[in-house]
Amino acid sequence: MIAQIDVRAVLSRSVCEFHNDLVTRSTGRAVRSGIEAHLQEHPDVTVVVLDFSAVRVLDCSCADEVVAQLLLRTEPGAERDRPTYFVVRGLDEVHAEQIDEVLRRHGLTLVAEERGGAKRLLGLATDLMRTAWASVVSHGSAVPEELAIELSWPVDDARRALDDLAGHRLVMRADAHYLPLTAA
Amino acid sequence: MTAVVEVPVSFDDRAFETFATALAAAGDARVLVDAHATEWASPFGLVSLLCAGQAVRERTGSRALFTVPADKDVAAYWARTGFFQEAEELFEIHGTVPKVRQPPEGTVLLEVTPVRVAGDVHKVVDRIQDRSAAILATELGLEAKATLSFGMALSEACQNIVEHAGTGGWVAVHAYTWRRRLGKRVVVIAVADPGVGFRRSLEPTQARRYGDRWGDGAALEAALIQGVSRFREPGRGQGFRGIRKYLDRWEGKISIRSGTARIAMVRDWDEDVPLREGLAPFPGAQLQLVIPAVAGPAA
Repeated sequence: MIAQIDVRAVLSRSVCEFHNDLVTRSTGRAVRSGIEAHLQEHPDVTVVVLDFSAVRVLDCSCADEVVAQLLLRTEPGAERDRPTYFVVRGLDEVHAEQIDEVLRRHGLTLVAEERGGAKRLLGLATDLMRTAWASVVSHGSAVPEELAIELSWPVDDARRALDDLAGHRLVMRADAHYLPLTAA
Repeated sequence: MTAVVEVPVSFDDRAFETFATALAAAGDARVLVDAHATEWASPFGLVSLLCAGQAVRERTGSRALFTVPADKDVAAYWARTGFFQEAEELFEIHGTVPKVRQPPEGTVLLEVTPVRVAGDVHKVVDRIQDRSAAILATELGLEAKATLSFGMALSEACQNIVEHAGTGGWVAVHAYTWRRRLGKRVVVIAVADPGVGFRRSLEPTQARRYGDRWGDGAALEAALIQGVSRFREPGRGQGFRGIRKYLDRWEGKISIRSGTARIAMVRDWDEDVPLREGLAPFPGAQLQLVIPAVAGPAA
């Protein structure tokens, strides 16, 4: 199940209905707690789309709490028995920069859909991962053998890249197939 | 006995050292902060005066005396910046404070505003985004993206007070022309507090690492250059990194004074020095961001 969460609405509920900006670390903590509470109430949610469209200013401290800490606290092996996948949507260029910066600092990666609809990976990812991810997104799915042929890679490299993507929760694995999150 | 501490005629971050030296020399004596001959003050000067007022009150248990600028236009300008509204709690004010309501249009992007809790940072960012985007775009030639990042930089600068100062502080944002220093319009953000300062904030986690080198200068280097925070958890200390990245893009400058040291990220257009130590002690931290206009020289 996919859940779309309007981050600005969470901000209104958690902190103040008049705030438009995701600024300060304490605000970030409150918003993250609101998102985590939603996930606890809906344990069947697999993919979470965090929608930043209505957010005006996002600072580094708040991005760290809302996005990076959320990813860290929901890493596989934590409380939930299956992985939760995250996508951020509706980012402007400045939002994307802030989130990219904090993810890199933690060695994390995340799928982002910018306001124009373009999809990209934010944070730390190898060139192999980025290339493989772009192929999965463009084709709607991938298996290692087909990816290896398409990119002229050894099959082992293709499999490793896809497994890395799945390990970082950037694609979902369904048997032999690797699926982009938004198509899941 | 009362020690007279003169406010420089033109009171900005450069003239600040004269003021800080005189204030330190006053010791525990009653202090008169004398601004009667002052003709101009930058936002850094204004918020630093408030820090001085609070520090004197905490040190001596009584409010310092303060003389209002004799020039009526100067006094009126200070009133419009919101300075006296904050100063009246900290100083025993002598002289006539003009009654004004509106800040000078196009100059004061944000009046002197207290920052104590995270909610204050929200208010500051909200006001700047609502009122200043057009000024930043038209006067400084900054694109919309830069005005959003401006809010981010302002927020991170203010959060230093909330997270580290151990007391409240103030922020002010003005736009004006630096004729001699740059020949351009600039936006200047000043954020100041009379709190514990960078050295004491970082001491529990960093002093041992630095050994004999530890001091106000080393603490400023650790925070600004290395992104060190007093909090140990990963992900902390990113505020200055974000501010520096923003300033790098717009050829902006940051300088921070804390305790007995001052650090600056110096640009080609500037003649500042990267680090000064052994300055007169002044409580807390005083930070200044300068963003120059993208357009050519001011008319």
